[in-house]
Amino acid sequence: MVTFRNCILLSVLSFAPFLPAEDLGEAWGTAQAEAEYYPIVTIPIPPGVPMRPGSFEILPDGRLAVGTRRGDIYFIEGAFENPPAPKYHLFASGQDEIFGLSWKDGAMTATQFGEVTRIRDLDGDEVADEYETLTNNWGYAEGHEFAFGSKHDPEGNIWVALGLSGSYHSNNLFRGWAVKVTPEGKMIPICSGLRSPGGVGPNAEGAMFCIESQGPWNGSCSLKHLKPGGFLGHPASYNWYPFVPGMDAPSVEPNTPSRLQVEKKRVKELVPPVIRFPYIKMGRSISGFRLNQTGGKFGPFEDQIFLGDYTLSIILRATTEKVNGVWQGACYPFREGLATGIMNVEFSPKGQLIAGGFTTNRQWPVRGEEPFAIQRIDWSGKTPFEIREINIQEDGFLFHFTLPVDPGVAARPEVFEITTYTHNYAAGYGSPEVDHTSPTVVKAVPSPDGMSVRITLDSMVEGHIHDFGLPAMRSAEGKPLLHKKAYYTVNEIPQP
Amino acid sequence: MIPARSKWTRIGLLIVLLSVFAGISRAQADEIAEGVMIPGLDRSEVGPEIKGLVLLEELNCVACHSSEAPFAERSKQAPRLSGVGSRVHPDYLKAFLADPHGTKPGTTMPDLMQGMSEAEKNQTTNDLVHFLLSLKPAQFSLQAPDSVAAAAGEKLFHSRGCVACHSPRDEEGEELLRDSSSPLGDLERKYSVKSLTEFLKNPLQVRPSGRMPHMNLPGREVEQIAHYLLRETQVPGSLNYTLYRGRVWEGLESDSVAAERAGLVDDFSLESLGRLAHQTAVVYHGWIDLPESGEYAFHLKMNGGFLRIDGQDVIVEEPSNRRGPKDFRGAVEMEKGLREISLTYFHTGREPAFAFEMEDPSGKRAPIASSLLQASRELVAPFKQLALDDESAARGREHFGRLGCANCHDDVGVAPMKWSGFAELSADKGCLDPTGSETPRFALSDAQRSWIKDVLPQVETTLLEDHEKIGRAMVSLNCIGCHDRSGVGGIDPKREAWFTTTKPELGNQGRIPPPLSHVGAKLTPQWMGDVLLRGQRQRHYLDASMPQYGEANVGDLIDLLAKVDRLEDVVLPEVSDILESKNAGYEMIGAEGFSCIACHDYNGQEAGGAGALDIVHLTDRIQKNWFHLYMRNPQRFHSTVIMPNYWPGGQSVRPEVLDGDPARQIEALWNYLEDGPRAKKPRGLSRQSNEIRVSNVAEIVRGRGTAGFRGIGVGYPERVNLAFDSEEMALRLLWKGDFASVNHGSFRAIGSEKIAFPPGIPFSRLESMDDDWPYKGKTDYLFPQDQGYQFRGYLLDERRRPTFRYRYGEVAVEDFFEDRIDEAGRGWFRRVLTFEVAEPQEEFYFRAAAGSEVKRVAEGRYAVGGIELRIPAAFDAVLRDGEPAELLLPITLPAGQTKLILEYRW
Repeated sequence: MVTFRNCILLSVLSFAPFLPAEDLGEAWGTAQAEAEYYPIVTIPIPPGVPMRPGSFEILPDGRLAVGTRRGDIYFIEGAFENPPAPKYHLFASGQDEIFGLSWKDGAMTATQFGEVTRIRDLDGDEVADEYETLTNNWGYAEGHEFAFGSKHDPEGNIWVALGLSGSYHSNNLFRGWAVKVTPEGKMIPICSGLRSPGGVGPNAEGAMFCIESQGPWNGSCSLKHLKPGGFLGHPASYNWYPFVPGMDAPSVEPNTPSRLQVEKKRVKELVPPVIRFPYIKMGRSISGFRLNQTGGKFGPFEDQIFLGDYTLSIILRATTEKVNGVWQGACYPFREGLATGIMNVEFSPKGQLIAGGFTTNRQWPVRGEEPFAIQRIDWSGKTPFEIREINIQEDGFLFHFTLPVDPGVAARPEVFEITTYTHNYAAGYGSPEVDHTSPTVVKAVPSPDGMSVRITLDSMVEGHIHDFGLPAMRSAEGKPLLHKKAYYTVNEIPQP
Repeated sequence: MIPARSKWTRIGLLIVLLSVFAGISRAQADEIAEGVMIPGLDRSEVGPEIKGLVLLEELNCVACHSSEAPFAERSKQAPRLSGVGSRVHPDYLKAFLADPHGTKPGTTMPDLMQGMSEAEKNQTTNDLVHFLLSLKPAQFSLQAPDSVAAAAGEKLFHSRGCVACHSPRDEEGEELLRDSSSPLGDLERKYSVKSLTEFLKNPLQVRPSGRMPHMNLPGREVEQIAHYLLRETQVPGSLNYTLYRGRVWEGLESDSVAAERAGLVDDFSLESLGRLAHQTAVVYHGWIDLPESGEYAFHLKMNGGFLRIDGQDVIVEEPSNRRGPKDFRGAVEMEKGLREISLTYFHTGREPAFAFEMEDPSGKRAPIASSLLQASRELVAPFKQLALDDESAARGREHFGRLGCANCHDDVGVAPMKWSGFAELSADKGCLDPTGSETPRFALSDAQRSWIKDVLPQVETTLLEDHEKIGRAMVSLNCIGCHDRSGVGGIDPKREAWFTTTKPELGNQGRIPPPLSHVGAKLTPQWMGDVLLRGQRQRHYLDASMPQYGEANVGDLIDLLAKVDRLEDVVLPEVSDILESKNAGYEMIGAEGFSCIACHDYNGQEAGGAGALDIVHLTDRIQKNWFHLYMRNPQRFHSTVIMPNYWPGGQSVRPEVLDGDPARQIEALWNYLEDGPRAKKPRGLSRQSNEIRVSNVAEIVRGRGTAGFRGIGVGYPERVNLAFDSEEMALRLLWKGDFASVNHGSFRAIGSEKIAFPPGIPFSRLESMDDDWPYKGKTDYLFPQDQGYQFRGYLLDERRRPTFRYRYGEVAVEDFFEDRIDEAGRGWFRRVLTFEVAEPQEEFYFRAAAGSEVKRVAEGRYAVGGIELRIPAAFDAVLRDGEPAELLLPITLPAGQTKLILEYRW
């Protein structure tokens, strides 16, 4: 049962002591090279502040707000200065664990385990007086029943992803569902089939997603699309369809063991994960994420998603695109070497990426050693040579780079190493990588400006992760890639 | 792991010191200790007249030589003997009676049998022992010492303050300062673990005069000290074991493995160890008596372990936490006779299992029988209780009276002898004649005799001054062994190293008990009494304990110290605006003022690491005059104090507060602190503690725990607390005192006087009075929303007290609890429910309280499950019996706002 203790994000806030020391897998080994482009700056936390960050928000006046496990909300002034000169102010306290913060119209909306709460300071003393419950209408009666909330969507709704009871069952109302909470406090169930979700948020096109953890029915951690009426893979939460007027339960349950690409044809509501993150290579407990819309202040990755990982103390990067009406995309290594288990991320007005979180004493292995931390990843202004984005084509992929490639090197098909594989889709815990194939790159054509390369494959496999390695790729200046790996999850292949 | 490191540093220091003193002790051991050993008499700064007086009292001269003088009353009572047969080994009793000074050098017990022939002495002591054991059924028995507890006890003995009077010991148990310490004698011959523990838990019961005080330690620590002092006790047994817990697969030396207990067992079966937890290792050691020579094979089923016989490895298998048990066999050729056997067994990995069998040369295979095993190479004889001889006991009773034992040991109902009155005593005669052969003989040194001689003529007529009374008590109880009082006493430099701290940042003040100079002008009589008589303390960082000496022995010190200790009176400033003063105090104490809380704990919240003593109760404990004097110049009272002077040269370091006037500023600090825990929390106070303390405003905690999963706990300034269940919108728990501890998203009520209410919503339209009151069952997924309920949160008032808001159908409810106190200072809740409706509402019930029973006490007053509930007289309350009993109030609402006011008292 060793794999039992793997990618589950936080599904373990209480745990037996004396776990054996676990091998957390090999680091990418790129931390030193990354530092030239994206240095890490630690934001100091004074000794009297019990800071276990679970969520971040930026206030209209530019301060950083932090929601904690202890149920406090701190406002921090000076966190984005160089060097950081933070001053902590306690705005609200005494709430349950806060894993979602969003400021709108003079109020902070916090998602805590039991409810979504709109918190206001009415008398202007900067300390909250009104804690207005928008909804507490989901079941909350067992351990591990986490709730992660989004920012306000354009209509002012908060989207909440609800973890299963004890991470395995759905014993209480809407456990394993995502719901939407309107500004008036109405709770609208969106989709079923979650297991142990983490952060919730949109991509650049405004579609809503959440992070899912490896476990039963989930071969690896993944980014899932919160498609209204959809079923996201774990059937434990089928039992709540009778409580959703106008939504019918899927007529069949998925078979086990099977494959996603097989079952999505049987269970028409099944929404395949948008991006699957190969285990350990790309995170073990991915947590919160945030869309980069800093207008270029964070470098060449505008409109991309940045994700924190709890166990490995790393930041990943992801891009999404819609093919045949289904979301899919790719993930890329970004930054390793953070100080603690990352629970959430946020972009500052200056375009810095805030990352923070904590470790749990003896409960869960984490690579970062600090018991808690808030850190900042700044862009140094230098552009690293990276795979910026991969888009799928009907017979291959289009690679975009951050700097022009050496056309001579990039035109050699063997520079693009590729294997494909998928995971079991099954009731058992997690999955090895299975059904490996080795397509051949038959053609590689750099664009005239050298910023992209179009590759053609002899075969593409629907339902597979296409795992790329470009160790031989060189920029026009002869530099190798900062990160040589990228992983594209092919749910659909575009029609020619 | 900082605490662990500092612990080892301390132990390291101890080891260095032990080796230094070990050198001295060998030299000292050659000299024969002279005189009775009373630790306070060893101090050169104590005058001879006090020493003489103390000696007369300690030797209890008046027990034989009666006197009406005041010191007669204060004389030390001898140990109570009625239960001695269960406390002390009979062999020790015999040896001690026959030769008290040889058996326990330094004892105040006189030799009463000098001059008797050996045979006579033998017969007499034998009779006395039979007599003493006949007083009560003697239940003495020996227990095997636990070496793990003993190791902990060794640290405790040396850190808790025992070594202020008794000698510290080196690793071998050799006493390092025997000649200047109160003797313990050969404890292993005297006590059993059980009887010593029993004695140490309340020494005053046996020794009422408090010279051996009650150490005010947890029971477990007392036991550990007893195991240490008796660690060489031998009892017969089959096999020694030591149990370890932790990450045992890393090896028993790992930092994450700790020894848990040790002792004797009958054989190698795990059952004999009691319940065995996972991740345990057992080390067995003993001797096996082989009946014949030949090849013996050993069969082990285990995860991992090591079997050694006569120093030779037979089976070696490193443990692993990742695999299950396996079978092992090892054979070895052995001669018959005693063979040393040791087995380390690791109870770890998947489904741990253990079996251990021996195959003898004939091929017979079986677990090793207990009868073949012995725990030590030499067999130990079991303890045998003395068979009482009535005639001998009767003779012993006669001896007990005749020899004068009964004069001191006056608790066994034997008439004392009469000797000449105190006034007729002569310093050169009788027991004081060094060359005399008369009994009793005391082991007095020449110096001790001369001190007595000097005070003897006038001791009956001299009345002690108050300060002399204090001095006498501090010598005879050896207060000066730990405390300095105006240059007298303080820790003996040779013992200093054993006074340690949990807060090394505090320097010597963190480890050395406080000086007692001017203590009567410093502490309030109430706090002095709390410390001396009621076991209170506030310097928790001192490893040494403040012992309890008993009211009879120290009760008078409270008044005496208050009378004797005088300091000049400070002119207190006039305070015209008390709120301004308190607020200035608040500003100065916080992080932006003097930042007192940077070093001092405050209301149980830890300071920035220094951990200096908690100041929240300061005004209950310290006199105001002394506070003013101390604040102006802390160095005056403590030359090495860490506390800074905030008014150097009479100038405040915060001139902008209260015009920089030192007196007004100090007064302001006092006025602020006078509000105690109810004062506004100082700015910058750490919030790291898991315990949430309430100050002048309410505190809120939310999450799972005390009131379901959606609980809201509220601690109010008047030290009453409640837990509200926002799932059912109902009051779940009331309690008083301390509020709650939190751990991430959970909280737990602490405090006391808890009143719990059963599950259920507050309002319902019962269809029939036979219906159960509705509550959320496990599968009532939509409850209570399906009853029209919706929780809407809460609003805080200026004291941060919540008004809960929720809906019941068309009814908007505001629910406010206000903390109040009655004349006697007891907190209670006034609850105001405000209902607002647009249209008149059909009647429904409000379940105002529910519990084990409900009864009407008076008009508008009801007793429900431990509380008194007061409701408006107009209500026609419905009392429902049952499980639970309930008090229901019928509510009808006209359009608009309706208020309902209730009082909860308990």
